[in-house]
Amino acid sequence: MTIFRFALKRILRDKTNVLFLTLFPIAAIFLPTAEDGWPLLPLGYQYFGILLLFVSIRLTSIMIEDRQKGVVKRLAAAPVSHFNYLWQNLLAFSVIMIIQIIIIISGGYAYGHELYEPWNLTILYLVFMFTAISISLAWNSLYRSKESSFLIFMAVIVLMALLGGILFPVEMMPVVFERIAVIFPTYWLSEGIEWIVFGEDRGDFLFINGVLLLYALFFLIIGSIRRIS
Amino acid sequence: MTIASIKGIVKRYKHQIALDYVDLDIHEGEILGLLGPNGAGKTTLIHCLMGIIPFDKGVIQLFGQEGAVFHHENKKKMGLVTQEITVFEELTAKENLEFFAGVYGLKGEEKKQRVKEALEFVGLSSKAKQTPNKFSGGMKRRLNIACALTHRPKLLIMDEPTVGIDPQSRNHILDAVRKLKEQGTTILYTTHYMEEVQSIATRVVIVDQGQVISEGTVDELINNIQHEEKILIDVNDATMIPIDRLKSLEGVKQVQVNGSVIQIISNAGAGNLDRALSIVKETSGVVGIQAEKPNLEDVFLTLTGKQLRDGEDDPS
Repeated sequence: MTIFRFALKRILRDKTNVLFLTLFPIAAIFLPTAEDGWPLLPLGYQYFGILLLFVSIRLTSIMIEDRQKGVVKRLAAAPVSHFNYLWQNLLAFSVIMIIQIIIIISGGYAYGHELYEPWNLTILYLVFMFTAISISLAWNSLYRSKESSFLIFMAVIVLMALLGGILFPVEMMPVVFERIAVIFPTYWLSEGIEWIVFGEDRGDFLFINGVLLLYALFFLIIGSIRRIS
Repeated sequence: MTIASIKGIVKRYKHQIALDYVDLDIHEGEILGLLGPNGAGKTTLIHCLMGIIPFDKGVIQLFGQEGAVFHHENKKKMGLVTQEITVFEELTAKENLEFFAGVYGLKGEEKKQRVKEALEFVGLSSKAKQTPNKFSGGMKRRLNIACALTHRPKLLIMDEPTVGIDPQSRNHILDAVRKLKEQGTTILYTTHYMEEVQSIATRVVIVDQGQVISEGTVDELINNIQHEEKILIDVNDATMIPIDRLKSLEGVKQVQVNGSVIQIISNAGAGNLDRALSIVKETSGVVGIQAEKPNLEDVFLTLTGKQLRDGEDDPS
């Protein structure tokens, strides 16, 4: 578990990372609930998916750094498989993001927010977290510099949030946009949030999480291809 | 005893041939200098040998086993010092070594001890708790080497480990390489610095354009071209010298102008010194004359027709 342990060390050694990883979820707990009935959950919980995307691109950027510096090449010469390198890094990212999810759910519960079904919300965030990590992994595999990857991905996140129904309801968009919204994982996150508030058929919730997991699997495969230089 | 044997390796990148039927043996306990200009195929050869990239044809035998470059057990016996400085800037020197020691399967007390030894070996014990971003280029290079030593490899592959550092750090690294050899480590040392190979290598392999063009000890390689002589004539105005007339002299193999110096390589005993001098004197004053003993640079020049540091911007 050397790679896992040192990935955590490297992430937490960066002070900006620590601020980013702790302050933002705590601040999200204290965001108010909308008065006009939308978003359905308190604002911090509606936008938490955006935070997960930001965090995942930041965390996975250490893998671009490894590629840039030749660490991946050096590890390829060592008795450790690329699969090992990959899963231990992903585990480190997941542990950090799971802690963030626990903070926001337990914090919101303690603060007195109406979270409807906190356990299901936790599941939804966890599944979306895997999707976010996979998307970031695939995204980063396209870039040689972590700075350009991060900057362009920020624009992509905003676009996904806008078109996926996180920032305002999909129903408010023109019909064409409403139709293409389904291709964004953020759409399925907002659908999941809606299910948690209105609690309809259990199968719908499973379907939503299933779609998100399929996205996770798809991007994981793309992002897993070993690129040495 | 042969530790690694490479037979007929071919590696292509699309339509470009990086390695063209390369044969190479590495003997136990030697420092084998792999010499060649940038783009010669040195790094590609190393990557194939370490199992980092696949090759298209040929066989590599490691520690007596055929086709064993991807076996983890063999990788444990090998160490790679990369051309790039592959250390983590956010971790201390000690943590960097702990990371690589852990990757090679070392644990507990043994790991602690090996990390300590590696830091001492490269002279970084006092900097163990500092992060490399505060290190000089030479110190970073030394740390980069130490990362490949904690698991005590039998075969250490060093890919241009002295690129871009000051002479003092270079000497420190070369001393470390000699010490490793004394401890029984077999070393494959690639560089395009001829002086380094001449000072440390027990045997030299010269590669160019993906092919092994010559191999032997430094003395053997030099003796092979001893049938030639090199005349250096320092002139007032090199632009006026009729190079074509010099080239047409019987026995002259090559004429080159380096600044104000005319370099003539001709068959030994061809008696061209007087003839060349009289041609030069017709058009320019002569400042000095020198006949040089050949070195590896000359060997390379003779074999390939170009200098070792040609194509500096063309990384392999």
